[in-house]
Amino acid sequence: MEQDEPIKVDKWDQNSVRIALDDAAKKVLLGLGYEENFRLIDKRLAICTLAVVAAGFALIYDWLYPFPASRNIIIFCVVSYTFLMGVLTIYMNYCEKSIFLIAHEKDPIGTEPDVVWTLSSSMLKYDQYYTLNIERSSANEHVRLSSVRKSVGEFFDENGELHFDAFQPVVLNLHKTLHSDKKSQ
Amino acid sequence: MLSMDVFGELRRMNKRQVYFQFLNFAMIVASALMMWKGMMVVTGSESPIVVVLSGSMEPAFYRGDLLFLTNYQQDKIEAGEIVVFKIDGRDIPIVHRVIKLHENEDGKVKFLTKGDNNEVDDRGLYKPGQLWVERNHVVGRARGFVPYIGMITILMNDYPQVKYAILGLLGVFVLIHRE
Repeated sequence: MEQDEPIKVDKWDQNSVRIALDDAAKKVLLGLGYEENFRLIDKRLAICTLAVVAAGFALIYDWLYPFPASRNIIIFCVVSYTFLMGVLTIYMNYCEKSIFLIAHEKDPIGTEPDVVWTLSSSMLKYDQYYTLNIERSSANEHVRLSSVRKSVGEFFDENGELHFDAFQPVVLNLHKTLHSDKKSQ
Repeated sequence: MLSMDVFGELRRMNKRQVYFQFLNFAMIVASALMMWKGMMVVTGSESPIVVVLSGSMEPAFYRGDLLFLTNYQQDKIEAGEIVVFKIDGRDIPIVHRVIKLHENEDGKVKFLTKGDNNEVDDRGLYKPGQLWVERNHVVGRARGFVPYIGMITILMNDYPQVKYAILGLLGVFVLIHRE
């Protein structure tokens, strides 16, 4: 996902702005050599795929055995689909929340357990401030949390271009506050 | 939504995100589909919503009205009621009134229909040799209606390019827009 040109977004579209900053923060952390963990995303994709399969099955079955015959299958599929949509909503709101990256810092020697870094972000509607939350968790240690809140005006110029060089140190700094450790640097 | 931004966002997406965009699109289609099939089950009709295509039922229904149908087997269809039925070999359902009804002891019925605004009964519309409409031809009975809305469907059928253009644009928008 190498990118030479800077990211450019519609500066008035808050969603695009937040996503651009999320992508940049992701790039910084993955640039430290951490491995991305896709489990959270994969679970969401699985729920959605299952729902689409249920709907597709109803469609095909009804096409092969037109309406009155397909009644029970349709009822089953509609109920399953609705249930899965409910599961998806709960999953996205309580499990995934606003997390956009889970990355593993592997121990170079291979003896220590992985350190798991989690990034999430938020922006209030119509607000100029972007809040980046970072979480560091490891087996046998307390979970460490930190966050930084900055105005998006510090990173985007008039044309909507993201100045990565201005954003990168903010992310690295945030990372450093949790990374300070007796052993590693 | 400039084209530059759009392709920029697309290029930044990894495989999983692209897959999710397609899933998003599929879920929207699936939701519409599930609602339609759900209505089919609840109303008992294979086509719970129909559009009035001709003026043969004026002044009750005008071209472009949307009709909500139910097709419960327990409901007895009586003379004077408006039914929607299909003729064998024709796709398009017809919305007319039942004017005559014959019933056997075993409950088998056959009816004759006529559009309020037509001069003659529907025998001219039936299949050659068919004189009556039977229960299994009936798609449902009109239970409620919304005026004018069906004109959009009529427009999209008369000008299929409009339909494809609208659906195409919506599809592209959903596929490209993140979150």
